[in-house]
Amino acid sequence: MARQIVIGLEVHLQLLTKTKLFCSCSAEYIGHTPNSNVCPICLAVPGTLPLLNDGAVALASRLGLGLHCTIQNYSTFGRKNYFYADLAKAYQITQYELPVATKGYLDIELGGASKRVRIHHLHLEEDAGKLVHPTADGRLTGAAYSLVDYNRGGVPLSEVVSEPDMSSPAEAKEYVMRLRQLARYLDVSDGEMESGSLRVDANISLTNADGTLGTRVEIKNMNSLKALERALEYEISRQNKVLDSGGRIVQETRLWDDAEGVTRSMRNKETASDYRYYPEMDLAPIVISDSEIEGYRQSMPELPQEKRLRFAQSFGLSGEEIAILTEQKALADYYEATVSAGAPTARAANWIRMEVLRVLNELGQDISEFRVKPDALAGLVKKIEQGDISSTIGKDLLDLMAREDLTLDEAVKRLGAPQGRLSGDALRELASRIVSSQPDVAETIKNGLDKKGGKIKFLQGLVMKEARGQADPNEVAGCLSELLGS
Amino acid sequence: MKMTVDRDITLKMAKAAQLRVEPEQVEKMMNSINDILDFCALVGDLDCSGVPDFMWRMRKLPSRRPDVPKDWPDREIFESKAPTFEGEFFKTPRIMAEG
Repeated sequence: MARQIVIGLEVHLQLLTKTKLFCSCSAEYIGHTPNSNVCPICLAVPGTLPLLNDGAVALASRLGLGLHCTIQNYSTFGRKNYFYADLAKAYQITQYELPVATKGYLDIELGGASKRVRIHHLHLEEDAGKLVHPTADGRLTGAAYSLVDYNRGGVPLSEVVSEPDMSSPAEAKEYVMRLRQLARYLDVSDGEMESGSLRVDANISLTNADGTLGTRVEIKNMNSLKALERALEYEISRQNKVLDSGGRIVQETRLWDDAEGVTRSMRNKETASDYRYYPEMDLAPIVISDSEIEGYRQSMPELPQEKRLRFAQSFGLSGEEIAILTEQKALADYYEATVSAGAPTARAANWIRMEVLRVLNELGQDISEFRVKPDALAGLVKKIEQGDISSTIGKDLLDLMAREDLTLDEAVKRLGAPQGRLSGDALRELASRIVSSQPDVAETIKNGLDKKGGKIKFLQGLVMKEARGQADPNEVAGCLSELLGS
Repeated sequence: MKMTVDRDITLKMAKAAQLRVEPEQVEKMMNSINDILDFCALVGDLDCSGVPDFMWRMRKLPSRRPDVPKDWPDREIFESKAPTFEGEFFKTPRIMAEG
């Protein structure tokens, strides 16, 4: 019997609160002077007491509801002891026995198939500070001492713990992408893995020959989705090799080394007793009333999955179009506003997917910074739909509008683009001018020597170029035939 | 029920607490822990029926605060009171290798 892959994930999301979890220090830390956002509470000065941030409770509850969890009326904090200096108290305040939300799920889609990943629970905890090791490579090894910046210490985290329901690295990656998308839709976390506001620890094991669960290994230090996928693939291969050679898997924590593409043993896996969990008696339990939960529920926006369904029903778009347009809430809102401003649904979807995202990528902007507002894009798309301007010209106009902050009319003037299609006498006059400018080519055609039609196509191309694409190719061909008798 | 620790559990507790205990210190530590456990057993004999495990609401204090930032004005005091400070950072002894 082939060994099955069993993966469970613990995802830490930094919550978008203004202040830390237990004190009123600013929760911003990136780019700030070290130890500038600290106070006696987050530095654990004796005699101080923590006081819970109401905003963190609200955000954790919203995320819990988004994950279809039960929000608990009563949950508590505990102390998780450990020996690093990155938390001044020498313990982390976290939720252990009674977390704020339990038993939910997140649906993921892979290769057209849907899968439900169960959520064991979601809990609140404080982040640690940052340790700096004054060595050449910034690593711990060889450091004579360590430096600590406590700006991040106490920033609220929500840890989402899944059941071991994923059975491939691709599923694990998809799960994190969907969780990140949900957190962003709910404005709960920005979910940036690179900056550390979303961190993933993976538990992975292979089933034994009799189908029972094997020994699990925890992997840390994966700073991107790609790293997550690579680390899991490496670990599956490593565990298979160990088992194939008759060895046994050691329960441990391993660190992913992205440069070398390997996991390395960090420490033997702690058990709960190693952390000496202890009830946090300095904090009252979190009591969330039913009416409070109902308030959170009422404030929930449309969730990604609901939006995807509605887009399919209302706009008749393909699965791929919907996936791209709803990936970010702001982009989905932009699309809907463009359609509301009168743009045809299919063409608007196509333009946003192909052209707006291209320009955003080139400018390094996100949709909130995009200068072409939905009504302006709707105006452009409508003109293309009506045949007043060609798609080619439309792309140039969009570029100008986005780069130079121009209205559609200003961009048309700047580009010198003809408004409306060139046809009839105007088109005949243009074709005549082109023929006159190419006497040798015209003579060849008139003498019947353009056997393969290459010369006439050359002239057609020149006319279309001069008309900036604003002419019907069949009418152009007709005009040239008339002029050259071909 | 009265609990006791033996030599092995004492060593395990010391390891969990990151304490270095010399062999000749183990018995003294074990006896101290057992004294504490004896006291716990004594307290455990009290009739606490109906009393919650923890009494958080001895006083009517708010259990949550609004999410509004406030600067701590006396940051310099941390630097002056910290055992060691280097640049903008707190300085700590090096972290022991794990294993």
